Amino acid sequence: MAKLTLMDLRKLRDGKKIAMSKRSAEGKRAEVVIGMGTCGIAAGAKAVFDAFLDEMEKAGITDVTIKQTGCMGLCFSEPTVEVICDDMPHVVYGNVDDKTARRIVRDHLEGKALVNDHIFDKPSTDIIKTAGK
Amino acid sequence: MIQNAVEADATQIELTIRETSEIFEFELKDNGKGMSRETQMKALDPFFSNGHKHAHRRVGLGLPFLFQTAEAAGGRAEIESQEGEGTIIRFQAQAQHMDMPPFGDFPSTAAMMLTLIPNGEMTITKTRNDEGYTVSRSELEETLGDLRTAENLRLIKTYIASQENDLRKAG
Repeated sequence: MAKLTLMDLRKLRDGKKIAMSKRSAEGKRAEVVIGMGTCGIAAGAKAVFDAFLDEMEKAGITDVTIKQTGCMGLCFSEPTVEVICDDMPHVVYGNVDDKTARRIVRDHLEGKALVNDHIFDKPSTDIIKTAGK
Repeated sequence: MIQNAVEADATQIELTIRETSEIFEFELKDNGKGMSRETQMKALDPFFSNGHKHAHRRVGLGLPFLFQTAEAAGGRAEIESQEGEGTIIRFQAQAQHMDMPPFGDFPSTAAMMLTLIPNGEMTITKTRNDEGYTVSRSELEETLGDLRTAENLRLIKTYIASQENDLRKAG
């Protein structure tokens, strides 16, 4: 792979944008928040981040935002992933690995069904106050 | 560490990584609220956390882990900080030391680091021997738009992977 310049990057983006506008007719957005504290990273949150990016590309999902947050206070169930999606309950998943991340993309984001065996009830109160808007 | 800077209200974060065949070092500089000398000492204690984020937590492992790694790998780490001005964290270790942890997947880590700060500038400069590159959040944002979409995060990874490839070829 040759070294990319910002100009090349813009071209890549523009190319993808055309493909994207064809796909996302629904216009609904979802947000995936990955816990990237020391505990999250130690438990494999980086692999989870990569798995989300990879599986979304395979599924052709482009209208999802991926955010990172610090420790959610659930270190024992890291990596944790919060999914905020239109028409779906707001969910925090715990013990998410590569495989579970891919299931979240396929089942939750695409299929609108919760990945029941990884649901973690609620985040610590400080997160609810700030992230709950 | 970058999360620490973000939580200290930093609007400018600069990460400089220098690698040679013998030495691996980095410097992380932010303009956040800084730490008093007393807090700096406490920050190195794994059983200290300022309690702002998690009221009942007594453990904070970020900096202690960093210092432990530096010392284990034949190097050192230091904090330089002034309240109200910001913090600089320096890390140096022997690249080939058997206790030096593997560097990991940099493009993906860099993409995460560059998009972590909600409002403000983050730059990463990486050099290997005499070659190097710099990438900043603002230039990426200007080129790509919203950096938090899965599509753009992938593009950032591709972009950084190409810079890394180039460095590897040169060095």
